[in-house]
Amino acid sequence: MSGRIYWNGTPVPFLPGENAASALLRAGIAGFGRTPTGLPGGVFCAIGQCQGCLVMADGRLTEACLLECREGMRLSPRGGMNE
Amino acid sequence: MNEPVVLVVGAGLAGFSAAAEIAGAGLRVLVVEQAAAPGGAIHRQPLPGIAYPVASAVHRRRWTQVTASVRAQGDRIEIRYGCRFAGLDHEGTALLTGARNALVRPRALVIATGAAERVRPRPGWTLPNVMTAGALQIRTKTLGKAPDGRILLGGSGPLLLAAGAELVKGGNPPVAIIEAGRPFRHVIGSLGLPLPYLREAAGYMATLLRARVPVLTGTEIVRIEKRSGALTLHVESSSGGRTFDGDLIGLHDGIRASDHYAAASSIPVMRAGDCREALGARAALADGRAAGAALVAELTGTVPASAKDSSRIERERRAQRRLARIFGHDGSARLAALPADTVICRCENRTVGDLRALGPVPTDRDLRLHGRFAMGACQGRFCTEWVRALTDPSHAGSPLGAVRLPAHPIAIADLLDAGGIADNPSTGE
Ligand SMILES: Cc1cc2nc3c(=O)[nH]c(=O)nc-3n(C[C@H](O)[C@H](O)[C@H](O)COP(=O)(O)OP(=O)(O)OC[C@H]3O[C@@H](n4cnc5c(N)ncnc54)[C@H](O)[C@@H]3O)c2cc1C
Repeated sequence: MSGRIYWNGTPVPFLPGENAASALLRAGIAGFGRTPTGLPGGVFCAIGQCQGCLVMADGRLTEACLLECREGMRLSPRGGMNE
Repeated sequence: MNEPVVLVVGAGLAGFSAAAEIAGAGLRVLVVEQAAAPGGAIHRQPLPGIAYPVASAVHRRRWTQVTASVRAQGDRIEIRYGCRFAGLDHEGTALLTGARNALVRPRALVIATGAAERVRPRPGWTLPNVMTAGALQIRTKTLGKAPDGRILLGGSGPLLLAAGAELVKGGNPPVAIIEAGRPFRHVIGSLGLPLPYLREAAGYMATLLRARVPVLTGTEIVRIEKRSGALTLHVESSSGGRTFDGDLIGLHDGIRASDHYAAASSIPVMRAGDCREALGARAALADGRAAGAALVAELTGTVPASAKDSSRIERERRAQRRLARIFGHDGSARLAALPADTVICRCENRTVGDLRALGPVPTDRDLRLHGRFAMGACQGRFCTEWVRALTDPSHAGSPLGAVRLPAHPIAIADLLDAGGIADNPSTGE
């Protein structure tokens, strides 16, 4: 399924089978908000080991590199939720 | 059909070859893979409908063979993608999250979770668009095309050359590859590598030369800065310093086994592939098969014909040692000279200064309780090595504290949803 996800309300296209980290990076979105201690969040290892790409996805904290895009999925920066 | 399954974690080379071996002896296998598709770190497949110009013919052939051996087992092997193993308790209960949350009681467990990249801390390594070289490889392989923008690769190790060649094939050659070691000085040493290694390396070098990608050896990355939207990489060699501008930086200083699931348990547990010992793709395949065969022997009492091929593993170990010598360089002075505000722990934003403030010989307790090193969400996967190197190099390989389960943060909702314990995760009984 290809379609669109939303980053802070902005539509971001995705390819069939693509994960959220990949779709966001292709759309030029590299900063995924801030970690609870203030560092920039974003893709680092891309294989589900570093927890760097955590985002809020439909209300829950998830690693974007392991999250397969679904039509209409709503993502936002994690915003200190996991403190 | 409700006998417990053998649980295999990871759908890479080691996991798939172990699964095929175990199912080949008539046992039922459940493979769980946290990613949406199989392949692991090296055989990442292109997204559906995307051509795959990046992988070499040798790589493609190897992966085709492995997947065929899994398919040949029919429904004895069930594969669940988007499903993550969070750990095994001492009673043999495994927690799976993601695709279907479940607590299962497998009859045995094979952990084949692969390696993680080592990345030495450097000022600026936490900036957006600075990632591992492997992350760039994965993007290139899945999209069938290199990322846009000016790409720089740096650190040390043969993977940088592989990643560089893949970026060339993906249509966007890197601006430069910065290698701290001096691999090309070791011509004689290199000749001792097995032929397939030499062939692979020669292929990467030919691709890089054709695309005129500069490979700077004996050159260290000193820091990365963000300047007017782009990234500036400062490098140093014996002939002085210089800078490169880029949009995307891939760092890499080697790979290390990634096993954060250790637990003494009442069921047999095997480790296979790079998570047991980071020896690369060829070893992972043989190691998966060997682990599968050993498990079959343990569970059924019959030793499969393909039982442990230890000579293969030993050969790969020797080759990897030789490679490490060829790329070898002493990074300890660089590490010791890092500015105090350099981040070491990315999860908790702990710096070199924070580490020094713990005194000259901090105990593990100091490091964790007061320093908060290895206490973050990644459980020290990326900082432990450097914390050890800076405080107590004699304990280089040892973890900082015991493994804590779950092996990665999970949502409480998933835990609640997992419900009761099932012997057979397919039927939930
Ligand atoms: C980023 C990266 C790039 C690499 N590139 C190359 C290369 O180009 N050439 C080369 O020769 N070698 C490369 N390597 C080395 C490579 O790891 C090995 O050659 C080979 O992939 C090892 O196979 P494996 O089956 O042991 O692990 P992998 O192939 O890594 O497979 C492990 C699998 O386990 C899954 N997994 C991990 N944890 C969990 C969990 N908790 N639950 C469920 N699933 C899980 C992972 O998603 C992965 O699919 C690379 C390593 C890394 C880390």
